[in-house]
Amino acid sequence: MAVEKVLITGMGVVSAAGMNVAETLAGFSSGTRNISQTTPSLSPLDYPVFHVSAPLGDPGRFSSRTVHLTFHALDEALADAGLSQDLSGLRVGVCMGTTVASQLNDMDFYTAYRKTGQPPMEPVTGFLKSNLAEAVAFRVKANGPCVTVVNACSSSADAIGVALGWIRNGQCDLVIAGGGDELSRIPICGFSSLSVFSHEPCRPYDRDRQGLNLGEGAGIVILEPESAARRRGSRASLFVGGYDAACDAHHLTAPRPDGSGLEAAIRGSLAEAGIQTQEVGFVNAHGTATRDNDKVEGGVLARVFGTGIKVLSTKGFTGHTLGAAGALEAAFTALALREGWIPASAGFENQDEEIPIGAVRERTTVSARYAVSTSLAFGGNNASLVIGREP
Amino acid sequence: MNIAGMGLVSARGRGVAALEQALEQGWVPPGEVEVKGLASGRLPVYAVSAETLSDKVVLAKARRADRFTRMAVLAASDALQDSGLGASVDKSRLGIIVATALGPHATTFSFLDGILDFGDAAVSPTAFSHSVHNAAASYIAMTLEARGPTLTVTHFHFAFHQALEIARSWLDQGRCDAVLVGTVDELGSVLHHVCGRMTKSAADGRITPFAFSATPETVPGEGRAFFLMTRDPDGAAYGCIKPVGGAVPDGGASLQLLDADGLAKDERAYRAAVIPGMPVAGYAPLFGGLLTGSAFEVAVAALMLKKQRRYACPVRDNPHSISLLSEPLTAPLSAVVCIKLDCSGRAASILLGRSAS
Amino acid sequence: MQDKEQQLSEIRAKLKELLVSNLNIEGVTPDQIKDDDALFGEGLGLDSLDAVEIVVILQRHFGVEVKDMEKGREIFRSVNTLANYVYETKQGQK
Repeated sequence: MAVEKVLITGMGVVSAAGMNVAETLAGFSSGTRNISQTTPSLSPLDYPVFHVSAPLGDPGRFSSRTVHLTFHALDEALADAGLSQDLSGLRVGVCMGTTVASQLNDMDFYTAYRKTGQPPMEPVTGFLKSNLAEAVAFRVKANGPCVTVVNACSSSADAIGVALGWIRNGQCDLVIAGGGDELSRIPICGFSSLSVFSHEPCRPYDRDRQGLNLGEGAGIVILEPESAARRRGSRASLFVGGYDAACDAHHLTAPRPDGSGLEAAIRGSLAEAGIQTQEVGFVNAHGTATRDNDKVEGGVLARVFGTGIKVLSTKGFTGHTLGAAGALEAAFTALALREGWIPASAGFENQDEEIPIGAVRERTTVSARYAVSTSLAFGGNNASLVIGREP
Repeated sequence: MNIAGMGLVSARGRGVAALEQALEQGWVPPGEVEVKGLASGRLPVYAVSAETLSDKVVLAKARRADRFTRMAVLAASDALQDSGLGASVDKSRLGIIVATALGPHATTFSFLDGILDFGDAAVSPTAFSHSVHNAAASYIAMTLEARGPTLTVTHFHFAFHQALEIARSWLDQGRCDAVLVGTVDELGSVLHHVCGRMTKSAADGRITPFAFSATPETVPGEGRAFFLMTRDPDGAAYGCIKPVGGAVPDGGASLQLLDADGLAKDERAYRAAVIPGMPVAGYAPLFGGLLTGSAFEVAVAALMLKKQRRYACPVRDNPHSISLLSEPLTAPLSAVVCIKLDCSGRAASILLGRSAS
Repeated sequence: MQDKEQQLSEIRAKLKELLVSNLNIEGVTPDQIKDDDALFGEGLGLDSLDAVEIVVILQRHFGVEVKDMEKGREIFRSVNTLANYVYETKQGQK
């Protein structure tokens, strides 16, 4: 039995790279990096961050910024797919990735708890209403499976993988998949303590990279089985061809040096898509710009695809958006296939002798029909998505 | 998909034998903790004892792990051990799915302590890295050397149900040969306080699942329940789980378990959800109320199918005169349905069958 | 000089206790750690996450910062090298 194609019928993105798809592509094309510094209201630590500074749309009853960012991208994705905000007539699944928004980590609440033992309960009740997938399902009146993936930095790539499974096993007519994360004092503190931050704009894959910058944003893809999408008149040509994930089973915070988990995930996703490595035109790498990530990932990409593979990391434009990263990068990958070009990998200048590949230094034409987006996470999970374009 | 093995950690101990013993023994009073900021100063809870978590062999790779993760590693490791498939499962095709409502919040608060006590520049990277929800899954993978996909999912009501369905899709799509799927949720000092403020504590320590009350009472609990799921018909020691439904089917079940644990604001909806003419049971009074408690109901159902024995309800208050399972019964049992409501209009059910699927 | 040796000895003892308790090193007591034992790899078996945790230990308990993790490699070799770094940095702060 032939496996039915799972089309990407709508996309929405918001990050420091742009408030929507059009702005993002313009920024990619010009190489604009909208980087700012942490402000005292965000964190007392001074680091570059990729902050979304423009106002967001109406969040309804939700107070969480992560939900606001996600709704902003959701609205664009729904419009792009030609869908209304009320999907109650369809079997709609919602799978969202996040990190910060899943934690009850409100500083005011906890400070009051420590000081007085009588903290206000509003942060808790607000938290209990803000499960990201539940919030999205509430907004569009979705009635199908609904869950939030909390797989650290691969969360929303895995969310797209889960969504793919729901469609393939016939559970859903349509799935809203993606993720969001806001800039927050907690991960700024945490990543700082892990000594993985760069004090300058990040330089993925560069010889002189110093570490990552955090960013915020959200990415949403609307996935539908091809037959159903065509029936309602969709002309979408992009699709998710395959997904796989594999765990390093090595260390909580460090990648397995041989990269075998990532390699298994990439090869698995290619097999699921039914394609060969030479059909892949480029890889949108996880490329956080930490010493370890880029070294391990670059080694694997060279091993799987050869040293000629075109590689970029869009984190030079967005920073590391954690739970949003996988979905944003999947969307950017799809857009690049549609537009026929990838941007210069921002921040990359000199190839590292320890990495057999470099990133692209200029806007580059791509004509391939397939591309891969990789995600590596805290905890050792590796995820790979194959995105395709119909001829 | 089939249940090849189970591992549990709860206030009643560790492992399937401890579960069986608890079911035979019935209700026992909860413990009590001192709680900051509550008028009573105390709260009854079903907490996992430190002794239950002292296993230096299984936890050899978990020296830094917090309580949340230690419980998860023990339960997951026990599920694999219980299946007897430990040696034959291809570890590169063993997946892990962890479902949690609240994640490792005690470590999150300990990280916030670091910020408040020492400042943003001197916080513990160990606390930070263990405060992410997927730390437990990572340790399970390291301990069992499982190299398949690992996924941690969160939802405040149906996390376990969603995790089970994802496990099924992984097995159906050939992504994995076996999947360890389970739940983890813990108590901690801040959550004690939150429970004390946001739920009604059962003064006599008894959760009453069949009161269907507009103002239900609870005793917070914690624990882990893991299941090794497989497509292998030989790996059906505890029978099978049929596809999870949103609506409540009877599916040929002859017993229904209600996951009414007193955590919802209003449990009257359970009255209408009871399938007429089918005996009812519920075991939340044994383990306490927890948002991912459905996994414990499923573990009880699975054990009943394996042992062909129905365990009496631990608390049998029955103001609505429904058909309660009030005495233990050893008799053929082919299917059990577990029903969970969020009491805001959504329902989920898990149907377990005796034979392999 | 007596003073310096005395101070170094105290720093080493305190470091050993902090390492065992803060890094949850199991089955080892502070006095079992020798001054020149390798902390990482084959020695005590510490890893990269322990390394950044040691940075916090030095900050919180000795008021000493490690800005450059690359330079940290040499400092973190043993209890001896750590104690020397703490002592010298403290001297420099006076």
